[in-house]
Amino acid sequence: MRLLTHNMLKCHVKNCTDPDKQYPLRFKDVQIEQIEYEANEEFLVRMLPRIDWVALVKTAKDLNIAIPDSVPEDPASDQDFLQSLHTIIMETHVTEGSMVCDGCSHEYKITKGIANMLLAEHEI
Amino acid sequence: MREPVADTLEISSAVKEEQYVHAVYNEIATHFSDTRFKPWPVIERYLLALPVGSLGVDIGCGNGKYLGVRTGDIFMMGTDRSSSLVEICRARNYECLVSDGLDLPYREGAFDFAISIAVIHHFSSEERRRDAVREILRVVRPGGTVLVFVWALEQHGRRKFDENTQDVLVPWVVPAESRVEGGEKVYQRYYHLFREGELASLFQQVGGNVIEEIGYDRDNWFVIARKD
Repeated sequence: MRLLTHNMLKCHVKNCTDPDKQYPLRFKDVQIEQIEYEANEEFLVRMLPRIDWVALVKTAKDLNIAIPDSVPEDPASDQDFLQSLHTIIMETHVTEGSMVCDGCSHEYKITKGIANMLLAEHEI
Repeated sequence: MREPVADTLEISSAVKEEQYVHAVYNEIATHFSDTRFKPWPVIERYLLALPVGSLGVDIGCGNGKYLGVRTGDIFMMGTDRSSSLVEICRARNYECLVSDGLDLPYREGAFDFAISIAVIHHFSSEERRRDAVREILRVVRPGGTVLVFVWALEQHGRRKFDENTQDVLVPWVVPAESRVEGGEKVYQRYYHLFREGELASLFQQVGGNVIEEIGYDRDNWFVIARKD
């Protein structure tokens, strides 16, 4: 599972509604793998507004991945920024471990690169 | 035995979907996937027309046949209720996770677009089908679009349905040569067959969107809607 995907995920347990805690989910005991993927700068620049940067910074720091604290004023002309963005969101995969919600402590498992986001009936 | 039969099961919607949708897809995943490879033209056209940089999700992505239609300048991730189908996607290097269409794990407005192809006809009450449409729209940003396909009651192809029976069990036959155990096996899948106008009506009931296109293609009704 790419960090791009993680940036879109939030806890969806029924009574878990504190927006400051249900997002982003916190990685726990994870295995990380870098998998090469062809970069497309125009894609990265145009897709950037979909990324929650604060959440991405928090997650990257948790995983000891270097990341700029803020998005540069003109990302399209900043090769270094685009390269590191690409590496972080498109090439960094979490293959094993889990994601924990800081609000309700629910743990979502990741196995063989696949996150299981299903909830038990009483949590929906 | 091979013909669709009316659904007369006296069980709750959730149990019906568990037994006659989820369990079946997990069992037939490999054979189902082997029969699903050619993208439908309307869906291909929709994906190819998206602006560069679009981020999207395929809800009920099956074996991932739409996740690879356009790569590089857009990105799509998939989700499916069947872990067996998600494993097939993963083996093909598609980005995919397991979740429930009535309760998606994505934040509001996360995506520029969403597609859901031949999925919400598996929800066995009108309320659940409406909730599924609401959930698809929830994860798309304002201004983004969604494309939804469902089986039509009015089919002109090889399947013929009784026009008075919208809730049916449709057989899926796995031939002997596709089964390790040998011997043919028949599974029943639950479908709600949509009448003309019914899918658009769900979008209108949910609100917060403008329907841009309604159409019929390959025995399916489809709607393209833009979120307000």
